[in-house]
Amino acid sequence: MNPYMILDFIRLSLKALSERRVRALLTTVGISIGPLVLVMMSSVVGGYSDYIVEKVTSLGQNAIAIFPNENYKISDEDLQFVRSIPEVAKAEPFYSIQGVLKRGTEEIKVSIFAVDYTLLFEAIGSLKISEGKIPSETEVLYSIVGRKIAFKDSGERCFTLNDVLTIDVPRIEGGKITGKKSLNIILGAILEEYGGALIVDPDSTIFLSPEAGRRLLGMRDWSGIFVLARDPSFVRTIVSTLRSKYEDRLRVIAFSAIAETISSVTSAIDFINFSTSLSAFAVAVAGTAATMITAVMERTREIGVMKAIGYTNSQILFMVLLESIMMSLIGGLVGISLGVFGAHILSSRGLSIRGIELTFVANPKITSNLIVQTMLLTISVGLVGGALPAYRASKIPPVVALRYE
Amino acid sequence: MVVLNSAKTALVELVDVCKEYRVGGVITMALKNVNFKVYEKDLVAIMGPSGSGKTTLLNMLGLLDRATSGKIVFDGQDVSKLSDRELANLRNTKLGFVFQTFNLINRLTVFENIELPLIPKGLPRNIRAEMVKDALIKVGGEMEWLKKRPNQLSGGQQQRVAIARAIVGRPAIILADEPTGNLDRMSAKTVIATLLELNKEGHTVVIVTHDPEVANCTQKIYVIRDGTIVGEYRPNPDESLIRKLSKD
Repeated sequence: MNPYMILDFIRLSLKALSERRVRALLTTVGISIGPLVLVMMSSVVGGYSDYIVEKVTSLGQNAIAIFPNENYKISDEDLQFVRSIPEVAKAEPFYSIQGVLKRGTEEIKVSIFAVDYTLLFEAIGSLKISEGKIPSETEVLYSIVGRKIAFKDSGERCFTLNDVLTIDVPRIEGGKITGKKSLNIILGAILEEYGGALIVDPDSTIFLSPEAGRRLLGMRDWSGIFVLARDPSFVRTIVSTLRSKYEDRLRVIAFSAIAETISSVTSAIDFINFSTSLSAFAVAVAGTAATMITAVMERTREIGVMKAIGYTNSQILFMVLLESIMMSLIGGLVGISLGVFGAHILSSRGLSIRGIELTFVANPKITSNLIVQTMLLTISVGLVGGALPAYRASKIPPVVALRYE
Repeated sequence: MVVLNSAKTALVELVDVCKEYRVGGVITMALKNVNFKVYEKDLVAIMGPSGSGKTTLLNMLGLLDRATSGKIVFDGQDVSKLSDRELANLRNTKLGFVFQTFNLINRLTVFENIELPLIPKGLPRNIRAEMVKDALIKVGGEMEWLKKRPNQLSGGQQQRVAIARAIVGRPAIILADEPTGNLDRMSAKTVIATLLELNKEGHTVVIVTHDPEVANCTQKIYVIRDGTIVGEYRPNPDESLIRKLSKD
């Protein structure tokens, strides 16, 4: 079959579809639902999955956080044990607490995180200072604040460098909260916007030195230990060493493991979504087959004429199959276009995670691979749906077809 | 009864051809041991009452159906052993069909209808366009028809378009099944005149008809009855449709 012939067959197929345009249109709409759902859901799930994984892994592929469980206090002995693990590059304790910051007439909730600054910037590589500088060890009163603390969402500045920030924090006495107290700290540096984050949200956090955590916050007990492995491949070993020693006394969280879990969960969601889409594709196959069988029956005499003037069985088969493929191509293009549009609408609504009061917006992950796979799947709808009618058309004896009323 | 062209080589030859149809458990013999020859540049008519087997005979000549027994020789080649694809190629290159109901496709333009047999040949569009125009001119058609749909033309015009479709691939033989059956007498005369003209230009023409006036326009008439050719007659030109309408 030469190119002229293929182009002519495409033209004839389009003409045949245009003759019964309402039926073809409805079938095309039916076909488009599968690719629409597949592209929309897969790209949204993929986009959010990548976003979450990226944010988790940005906290450091080699970072591990250790938290004490109830009734357990992390001691200096524990810290030394962690530091003694050969695979551990660095381990520093940290304090964390929630507070309320007075910002003009409003009060905003903030996280206060007292940690070794060097470790902080090493663990979260993408964390950058936009104004000011990292306070020195002696500058206990100085802090580093997230972008959303210094600026309102509208971009209006609330604090400048060296401003005094007044924060209400819980008063802790003998390891128990006995009330609240106000403390004043100085704004030493402002971070660049980090974007939505998980576990740690730097944009809404005030970072202090561990010394400030002890002296200003009055915290005697460490909230946890921040650990950096020598290499991401050592994370599993460190986690298993810690778990075997401390069992349920400590919670050991490896950020790379969280990323793996999220990836496997989103893979499962993706699979469920794909399976659901397949049912839409199956319905489309049935719809296409019904449309094409009717079309072939209506055009039996015409097929007889074409055979009489020299069209071979395979050319008839190809021509009928082309019609169903054309419908699936148009359905695929429409479905994918609507899917891309729908994915942007859906993902722009954002994803809220209850419990940590976090809402973030991720762009849908529309890849050429997804588009090609969806298109191939949609074309196969045309192929499968059109196969039987096309075969039947090709096998009608010309004399029988010419007699058909 | 006359016998013509006995010394020439036949373009199509049916040798002891039988054709039976089975519907349910009932067997109907449509053709019984038919021996029939069509020679190059012949202009013949096949006449017979309804159900006599004339369309079946035409289908055999046109390689549209296979014989139950016997042999069909086309252009010196026994076609009974040919595949469906080879038969289709022969139909495309050597045969042209004209049907009683025109069998034009109304969603296509006249140009596209005439062009249809050229598509399996894989010819470039510009060459096809020339061939389509030539064919339409040969059947006395007008260029303005090319962009119209068949259902925008009269019956006679549609049949001329159908003849143009039959001859566009320059076939050796034109097979017309009741070509005037759906036409008024004036349109029928035009269509028959067109077929006669094509015969003069070298096309072999076989016409199946009920109408003696149409049959009398040809060079010889075969009569078929109950699946058997019962006679071969010389036509009477004075009783032909063309002569009669010319007198009127």
